[in-house]
Amino acid sequence: MLAVRNVRKVFGADAQRYVALDGINLEIAQGELICLLGPSGCGKSTLLNILAGFEEVSGGEVQFEGAPVRGAGKDRVMFFQDAGAALLPWLSVEENVRFALRVRKVPKGEWPGIIDRSLAMVGLAEHRHKFPAQLSGGMRQRLQIARALAVEPKVLLMDEPFGALDALTRRRMHGFLLDIWQRTAKTIVFVTHDIAEAVTLADRICVMSVGPGSRIVEVIRVDLPRPRDLADAGAGKIFRQVEALLA
Amino acid sequence: MAEGRVRTLALFAGSIVVAFALWQFLSTVVFNPFLIPPPLAVFQTLLPMARSGEIFRHVAISMARVGVGFTTGCAAAIVLGVLLGRIKLVNELLDPIIELLRYLSPTAMIPIAVIWFGIGEMSKYFLIFWGTFFIVLINTTAGVMRAPIIRQRAAECLGASPLQIFLRVVIPSAAPYIVTGMRIAMASSFMSIIPAEILAADSGIGFLLQQSSILLQTNRIFVALLTISVLGFVFDRLFRMAVDRMLSRYMSYITLT
Repeated sequence: MLAVRNVRKVFGADAQRYVALDGINLEIAQGELICLLGPSGCGKSTLLNILAGFEEVSGGEVQFEGAPVRGAGKDRVMFFQDAGAALLPWLSVEENVRFALRVRKVPKGEWPGIIDRSLAMVGLAEHRHKFPAQLSGGMRQRLQIARALAVEPKVLLMDEPFGALDALTRRRMHGFLLDIWQRTAKTIVFVTHDIAEAVTLADRICVMSVGPGSRIVEVIRVDLPRPRDLADAGAGKIFRQVEALLA
Repeated sequence: MAEGRVRTLALFAGSIVVAFALWQFLSTVVFNPFLIPPPLAVFQTLLPMARSGEIFRHVAISMARVGVGFTTGCAAAIVLGVLLGRIKLVNELLDPIIELLRYLSPTAMIPIAVIWFGIGEMSKYFLIFWGTFFIVLINTTAGVMRAPIIRQRAAECLGASPLQIFLRVVIPSAAPYIVTGMRIAMASSFMSIIPAEILAADSGIGFLLQQSSILLQTNRIFVALLTISVLGFVFDRLFRMAVDRMLSRYMSYITLT
């Protein structure tokens, strides 16, 4: 459904020229949960921005459902780590979802039903009149998920979405994301630098090398039932395998 | 909460009482009542000026000048500021000029304003406009430029059109900056109207100051000074109340996040 072919991304020119990505190839299937894993500065967020259409490729091509990606598309919703910045702080929880429905030109009659459903799905129904500043970090992320799901995108692009949360909340968000993913069958591309997070979530882990000229050094399939326990032998083996690649 | 407010009010009242006491002391003991008229003498001067309506006429004229200059200055600055913040070419073309002109305070512009517009109302409108314009302009531009790119991108991939992003994301994100600029500009308007009226007017509080000075009427000078402080204070509070009432949802998150 998403195809990345020979993608190259160069920033700046002359002395400031920096080759961020070089020769990235990746095929993502419908309903797959892919993790892009790598240390800071490996260009994984750049790749995600390219998939979203926020950044243009310098070479190669990205196709979504057979057509080349040009600019942001409504079928690929980006999900940011800084939920406080991504949400509209002057709108309440339910108004934030309503904003998404308005700009998506969903008929007004359907709004109340969709708002109820998507807020219920993320457990924010009783907080609907609060403002983002009154929510905890985890709740803000859940609101971002609700807002994204309300417009029914095909792909969720997530840029270290739980990176700023404490360990316990993050664990809960993982369970929560997997639950939603299994129920809605969305395709998810999830950027992280946390090996444990990748092993917990992914169907496949794309391990990226440090820049300049980062590439995907290995794609590791994680054929383990969910929920996964990192103390398990199978998960442990994959964890060490990834760790060795990044060392 | 209620206790906190009582405390604040009590301290405010206390501060005023101490100020008056100090004023009385300086006037009668340290200096002399002619140089610093004591509070009572100032109020005795104020009463007939209030009864005859003289002071209110000056206040009304000065406030009308501030009102016209401030309103038109804000309107023009917000429109241009949004363009500067949003369109790179406009910014690159105009920024150098603005960076130079903003150092010309309204006071510096008085001599040329008198030549251009005379000592009628227009020169005062112009001077207040001038002072307001650059403050609000710079704040608006900064606010529009600093609308978080993440917020705009998030709206974009939800399906927002460029116009929707502009109206529903960028402008509200810039609102706190614009309002802060307006508040600073209002304070500055209250300050710049005085020199403008001292040098180029035949009415208004600044004129009252100037006339009283020439006639060595320190009592009347103090009435005018007191009036300026009270007016500035009252208008700032009114402005804040209006903002709290109408724009609180755009302002509040700044302190919260």
